[in-house]
Amino acid sequence: MDPDRALVEAAAAGSREAFDELVRRHQVAIVSLARVLTSGRGDAEDLAQEVFVRAWKSLRSFRADSAFRTWLHRVAINVIRTNQSRQGRLMRMFTSAADAPEAPSHEEPVDTALARRQIIERALASLPEDMRVAVTLRDMQGLDYRDIAALLDVPIGTVESRIFRARQRLKPLLAPLFRAEK
Amino acid sequence: MTEQDRDQDLVAAALASAPPPEVSPGFLARVNARIDAERDNGWFAILDFKVWTLRLAPAAAAVALIAVLWPANSRSTTSSSTSTASTSSFTPASATDWQNDVNANALLEAALAGTTNAR
Repeated sequence: MDPDRALVEAAAAGSREAFDELVRRHQVAIVSLARVLTSGRGDAEDLAQEVFVRAWKSLRSFRADSAFRTWLHRVAINVIRTNQSRQGRLMRMFTSAADAPEAPSHEEPVDTALARRQIIERALASLPEDMRVAVTLRDMQGLDYRDIAALLDVPIGTVESRIFRARQRLKPLLAPLFRAEK
Repeated sequence: MTEQDRDQDLVAAALASAPPPEVSPGFLARVNARIDAERDNGWFAILDFKVWTLRLAPAAAAVALIAVLWPANSRSTTSSSTSTASTSSFTPASATDWQNDVNANALLEAALAGTTNAR
């Protein structure tokens, strides 16, 4: 049972209060997803807002064959990818050069939430996009493999493979976190 | 459980424990403002002459095409109806009207009698 179902139905019927509640419930997840998928470019909140605007406009076309949360993630990925392609290859090259993830410093303090988040975002930014999206949806957003496969329109085996390889690549990059936990 | 599995779990746990990002307090208000702005833009679009120019372009083209094709048919129709009308309204008396050398009495007589030989 989708916990958002009643709110979605009310919002689809035009209730802005119901939609506000949906935004409150999912804003952190969508901003977090936008931050990771844009490699912390700084316009994550703008994109997340765009996701909710798009969701509001398309809410009537939402069919309850998936959870609202999964559908919202699909909207988010579409919005972010459209935005990235709009910015063009040159901009992406510039961004990747300027914002290339720095190797996590082993001297970096990891006892603060901000530092932990920075290490994780930098590590994720070093991954190819297909792996980054899959592992983010699984480990940070908590979607199951089946939903991720449907959302990305790829076989479930491909999702599993991407997540497996992503975690392998991430392990050395997240080492400062493991040391701090010991 | 193999070491590889343990590594996988370790990374998954580290990612899951990522502190959530701070969302600015005005996030919801900005979403609502953008939704309202898009709706308002929708109304402005109705009044936008550029939009209407584009929308009406096919109709304008059709009207222009009709205007080009129409005179060829309508001219012949109009001219034939005019000639028909003039023929039907042509009476001997009125023919008399156009004769330069008709005198007043003959004209009056022709008008009253409705004949052509009013000279």
